[in-house]
Amino acid sequence: MIKVKKLFKTFGSQTVLHGVDFEIKPGEILVIVGESGSGKSVLLQHMIGLLRPDSGSVVIADQDISRLSEQKLLKVRKDMGYLFQGGALYDFMTVFENVAFPLREHTRMKRNAVMTKVQDILKLVGLDAAEGKFPSQLSGGMQKRAALARAVIMDSRILFCDEPTSGLDPIKSRSIMDLIHTIARKLKCTTVIASHDIVNSLRIADRIVLIRQGTIVAQGTPDQLRSSQDAYLQEFFN
Amino acid sequence: MNFLFNYVIGLVASAGEALFFLLDAVGVVLRGKIRWSEVFKQVYIQGVQSIVIIALTSMATGAVLALQSYVMLSRFGAKEAVAQLVVLSLVRELSPVFSSFIFSGKVGARIAAELGTMKVNDQITATRAMGVDPMEFLVVPRILASLLVLPGLVVFSEILGVWGGYLIGVYNAGIPSSTYVHQTIYAVGFVDFFSGFAKTFFFALLIAWIACYQGFKTSGGSLGVGQYTTKAVALSYILVVVTNVVLTKIILALWG
Ligand SMILES: Nc1ncnc2c1ncn2[C@@H]1O[C@H](COP(=O)(O)OP(=O)(O)O)[C@@H](O)[C@H]1O
Ligand SMILES: [Mg+2]
Repeated sequence: MIKVKKLFKTFGSQTVLHGVDFEIKPGEILVIVGESGSGKSVLLQHMIGLLRPDSGSVVIADQDISRLSEQKLLKVRKDMGYLFQGGALYDFMTVFENVAFPLREHTRMKRNAVMTKVQDILKLVGLDAAEGKFPSQLSGGMQKRAALARAVIMDSRILFCDEPTSGLDPIKSRSIMDLIHTIARKLKCTTVIASHDIVNSLRIADRIVLIRQGTIVAQGTPDQLRSSQDAYLQEFFN
Repeated sequence: MNFLFNYVIGLVASAGEALFFLLDAVGVVLRGKIRWSEVFKQVYIQGVQSIVIIALTSMATGAVLALQSYVMLSRFGAKEAVAQLVVLSLVRELSPVFSSFIFSGKVGARIAAELGTMKVNDQITATRAMGVDPMEFLVVPRILASLLVLPGLVVFSEILGVWGGYLIGVYNAGIPSSTYVHQTIYAVGFVDFFSGFAKTFFFALLIAWIACYQGFKTSGGSLGVGQYTTKAVALSYILVVVTNVVLTKIILALWG
C-alpha cells in the first residue's frame, strides 16, 4: 500500500531522515516508535506529502507522491486522514463544523446526510454531547477524539496519527489508542501511527518499526520485537 | 561588511518569498477559486472591527483641520476657504492615509495574529492535509475583503471628516451653513476624489498581503505570534508611508 524508499531529509545542517526504508501492507496498523526527536513526525509528514524529501520516494498505491505538485497532492490527500499531535482543529469552528468540514469541501452530500454522518462518527468517538462546543472548551483528550473523527470522516483509505497519546493520562491514552484500533478495523483503513507510547503501541500494532537517528533500526510484530535480544530494543521495550 | 551583505541578501530573499506568496494568491483568483461566502464573512469582520475608530478619528481630524485652517486662513483674509481646505485635504490625502494606518493596526494585526496562531497550532498544515488549499480558504478571502472594505471605509471617513469640519465651520467660525455645504460640494473635482481614492486599493492590498504573509511565516509559539504580528503592522505602516509618496508623485504627474 505504502512504500517508503531510501528517504533522506536535511533541515539546515541537521539530517533528520537518513535513508528510511520500509513498507506498509493494506489494512495494516503500523506503529513507528522512537525517542522524541528521532524524526517520527517528519517521516509521517513525508508520507502525506506535507514535506518533500531531499531524495528517495514515497509510493502510495503505485503513485510516487513525493514528485507531485501541491495541487495534485491536495487531491491525493482527500482520502487520507491525518491526526495532528495537538489536534489542529479550527478554533473558529465548533466540533460539528470541524468534523463536517472535509465533507462540505469534497462531497456534494446533502445537509441532512452530512449531519447524520457527522453525528454517527461523533457518537463513535464519544463526543455526541459536545458537537456544539468550540475546541477551546474541550479537554485535550476530547480534542484528539474530535480531530480523529475529522481525520476519518471521509472514510479515509489511509490514516496517519502523530502522537495520539501525547499529553494524555494513561487511561485516556489507552482509550484513544483502542479507539484508533476500532476505527481502523471498522473502516479497514491502512493506519500509520507515530508514538513513543510503547505499551499501547505493542497492544494495538500489527507491526512496529523502530526509528533511531533517522533510520529504521528494527521492525517486526510486537511479539518479535519483545523477544529480541538486541540491547537497544530490550531497553526500549521492557 | 559581511554582516551588511548577509542582511541585504536576507532582505531580498524574504521580499522574493513574499512576492511568490502574492503570486500564489493571484493564481487562486485567476483560476476562479474565490470563496465568496468567506469573502463576505471577512468583509463583515473587517468592517465592523474598524468602523467606530475610523469614524471617531475622521470627525476629529475634520474638526481640527477646520479649527486650524480657520486661524491660518484668517491671516490671509481668506477664511471663506475653510470648507475647501478641509474637504480637499481629507479627500486627496488625509482620509486615505489615516484610514490605512488604522486599518493596518486593527485589521492587519488581527489577520496576522489569527493566521499566526493557526500556523503554530498546525491548523494551516491541517488544511493542506485535508486537501484544501490554505491560500484559497484563508488568504484570498482576507485580501479580497480588504480590497472591498478599505476603500469603503475611506469614503465613510471622508464624509465624517467633512461633517466634523462643518460643525466647527458653522457653529464655531460662524460660516453660514448653506455656504459651507455649497463650497464643499463645488470644491471637489473628479480628480481630487480619485487621486486619493485610487491609492486606497494599493494600501489595502499591501496591508492584507503583508499580514497574511507574516501570519503564514509565524513560528515559535505564542511568542512568535506576538513578534510576527508586530512585524506585520510595522512593515505595512512603513510601506504605506513610502508607497504613498511614490503613488502621490505618480498620480500628480498624471492628473495634476
Ligand atoms: N520544519 C523543520 N525545520 C527544522 N528542523 C525540523 C523541522 N521539523 C523537524 N525538525 C527537527 O527534526 C528533528 C526530528 O523532529 P520530529 O520528527 O518532530 O521528531 P519526533 O516526532 O520523533 O519527536 C528534531 O530535531 C526537529 O528539531
Ligand atoms: Mg513528533
